[in-house]
Amino acid sequence: MAYPEGPFETVREDLKASTSRQVTSRSDIFPKLVSLQRALHARGFAVLRVTGAGMLSKRRLTAEYENWPAAHGMGCEPFIAAYGETLLAHIETSLLPVLWSAKESDSFAEASDFVPFVVQLEARVLAYSGIAFPVRLGAVGNGYVMFPTTGTVDLPGEVILDVHGRCCKLMTEILQLDERRAMPSEALSEREIACLQLAGDGRISEEIADHLKLSVHTVNAYLGSATIKLDSVNRIQAIAKAIRLGYIT
Amino acid sequence: MDVVLSGDKIGSRKAPAVAADALPGLSSRDQLTRKPATASQAGHMSASLAVLSEYVGASHFLLARYDLVQEHGLDFVVSSNWPFDLVRRLESEIAATYSRSTELDKCMSVLQPKFGLLPDDAAVPTGISRQYCSLTVSVGRTRLALMLLFEENFVLSPELLREVGLLTGYCVSLSTRKAQKSDRDFELTERELECLFWIAEGKTSDEIATILGISRNTINNYITSVMRKTATKTRSEAIAYAVRNNLV
Repeated sequence: MAYPEGPFETVREDLKASTSRQVTSRSDIFPKLVSLQRALHARGFAVLRVTGAGMLSKRRLTAEYENWPAAHGMGCEPFIAAYGETLLAHIETSLLPVLWSAKESDSFAEASDFVPFVVQLEARVLAYSGIAFPVRLGAVGNGYVMFPTTGTVDLPGEVILDVHGRCCKLMTEILQLDERRAMPSEALSEREIACLQLAGDGRISEEIADHLKLSVHTVNAYLGSATIKLDSVNRIQAIAKAIRLGYIT
Repeated sequence: MDVVLSGDKIGSRKAPAVAADALPGLSSRDQLTRKPATASQAGHMSASLAVLSEYVGASHFLLARYDLVQEHGLDFVVSSNWPFDLVRRLESEIAATYSRSTELDKCMSVLQPKFGLLPDDAAVPTGISRQYCSLTVSVGRTRLALMLLFEENFVLSPELLREVGLLTGYCVSLSTRKAQKSDRDFELTERELECLFWIAEGKTSDEIATILGISRNTINNYITSVMRKTATKTRSEAIAYAVRNNLV
């Protein structure tokens, strides 16, 4: 771990390179998931995202990027039905990976050298065992990447750590794809951004006009064009989108 | 006929053979798991962080509640062995970095190490580099920042840093003295939050009234109540507030 010479700079360049490598489409995501599946000797994968903003009662897990066909008790549906609520509660307080064992007594999933750092869900509920990694990015981009397994599986801690880290990276890439889809058709102008920012800070059009030395009509026009560019029905929705996309704070 | 029972395998099913090359590392991996986990469960984050720092080669650690950095005082520090004066000196810089990035930026950079420079006038222990490394990890609604100091000319491993970030998240997950955000949901009721959600979607009071099946006046009352509780003057400001605080 410790090398006597070598500057920080090399590390920084490596990191810069990896963060600037853009994920261009959904088809970039699948190979990475397949690679993770192989690392775990799993038989499939599914990315489950937490949907439903704000209110806890409205939250659901929705499956995307599945390679786990539904048949004979397989697939995500039984998983979400059986463990959905537990998982939603878990991700509110914990980052620990979860494991579960199948109905058949000869199929189980465990991590014998990592016991304190995993949570075992109620066993003997599903037709398959597996592991799921919670990913929490912030206000958005939260969910689980789950991998159903076959037979008996004892996952070493270093594999769990490696896969979990890669799942987090993957979710940021998925989020990046989402955000790109939500991008406005045309870039917002500086004036439009300024008006949105002031409106979000509680100023009414007259006050914004005063502040920016424009007429009220001009301010309303800027807010109007920003609304259209952000594909919104009114300026309030435009402000919400602008904050989420990072145009204003 | 002599059956040797290994201490921690009593009663457990026979596990498949562990890969040969994992065996030599097993005792240190065991150290890495057991000690931090036990310490965290007992609420001693500093002991856990000390083990993790050693693993990644850091000389000093600071674990902060990143979402609280903008509040006055050093309440945002969960555990640290940084020189105290350095933390005080850095307080405003950390707050500034926090406010300069959007929520989306923060989401995108989870577990990715970032580097900063300690200010020239800050007193840094001898032999320690002025470059500090920080990475964020989220546990539930709490966003934490782990800031590490290293010796000069130390070469960092991004993989190890990411592992340590994740393990820190695990430790916080186990910690009894939860470094969790206290319920600062600003006492908005479920209905009020629902109204905010629909307003952010661009719905008018009439439309929301239809959606929720209640009268328009009730909707307007909810909105007035929200603006009062959040000290905002316009609907725009109320929505901005809600989005900034991740209520919608």
